[in-house]
Amino acid sequence: MLGFPTLIALHSVGMAVVVGLSLMITLRLHGILTGIRPPQIPRLLTVAVWGFVLNLVTGLAIFVTRGSEYIGSAIFLIKMLLVIASAAILFWLRQRLKAERPTAEMSVGDALARGLSLAATVSWFGAVVAGRLIAYLSDLYR
Amino acid sequence: MIRDVLVWISGSPLADWVVSSRYIWPTLESIHFVSLCVLFGSLLVIDLRLIGFYRERCAPMVNLLIRLSLAAFAVNLATGVLFFFGNTFKYVNNTAFEIKLVLILVAGANALYYKLRLSHIVDSEEVSLSSVGVGALSLLLWAGVIVCGRMITFYAA
Repeated sequence: MLGFPTLIALHSVGMAVVVGLSLMITLRLHGILTGIRPPQIPRLLTVAVWGFVLNLVTGLAIFVTRGSEYIGSAIFLIKMLLVIASAAILFWLRQRLKAERPTAEMSVGDALARGLSLAATVSWFGAVVAGRLIAYLSDLYR
Repeated sequence: MIRDVLVWISGSPLADWVVSSRYIWPTLESIHFVSLCVLFGSLLVIDLRLIGFYRERCAPMVNLLIRLSLAAFAVNLATGVLFFFGNTFKYVNNTAFEIKLVLILVAGANALYYKLRLSHIVDSEEVSLSSVGVGALSLLLWAGVIVCGRMITFYAA
């Protein structure tokens, strides 16, 4: 049941959740998508965290199965650095915005939160691209 | 007849271009994946509202996100067609690919139903049985599309 194809497929779904929501929350913090009211932003970040947890679990399982193919690839190491940076910002942002206890009327997130949210989204997309390139171009960069 | 079309597609200049460099396919796949994140993220924000995860009025945002998701879908359709040209017989008689296409058609019908019958709901703070159903079905169908898409390579002959 939890064979390699299933793990890979679930990893793609988790990716869509965490990367997609990271983009949406960044757009919201930059004043677009204001239909998302401030109290909902930390809740959406929690959904993104669950997408990340799914990918942490499936990613570790994939690594246990096929790790020897990845560990020598520079692209894989770049992907890991981008994932760690993005995930660290995701957790930080969630704590930060939760602590603000935003009400419907207030503005949410300061310049640091906006900037790091954008950086995390760019980094997530970089990790997505790196993840694809591992499969095709790893032999070029060892 | 269909066979002739498939053979023509797989031998067309466009097919030749897709496989003319080892960098083109991974670039197209990267674009396909980035765009699927944009599509799924947009749909999550819309569908979570339909399900009642939050209930605010947000019709202008939903309309913007519908346009964003359509643009992202267009990118995925275009890159998807290029995959089909570049490796036609990977997709023919591929169960995962066939299920993926059916799920996309059903998801499209589900979205059309929202547009024709349910779009008023995001102009209120309400949810209804049908909005919860449409939102949940949308997320399940698109997650299924992603799963089947990723499975294509494992079902290839």
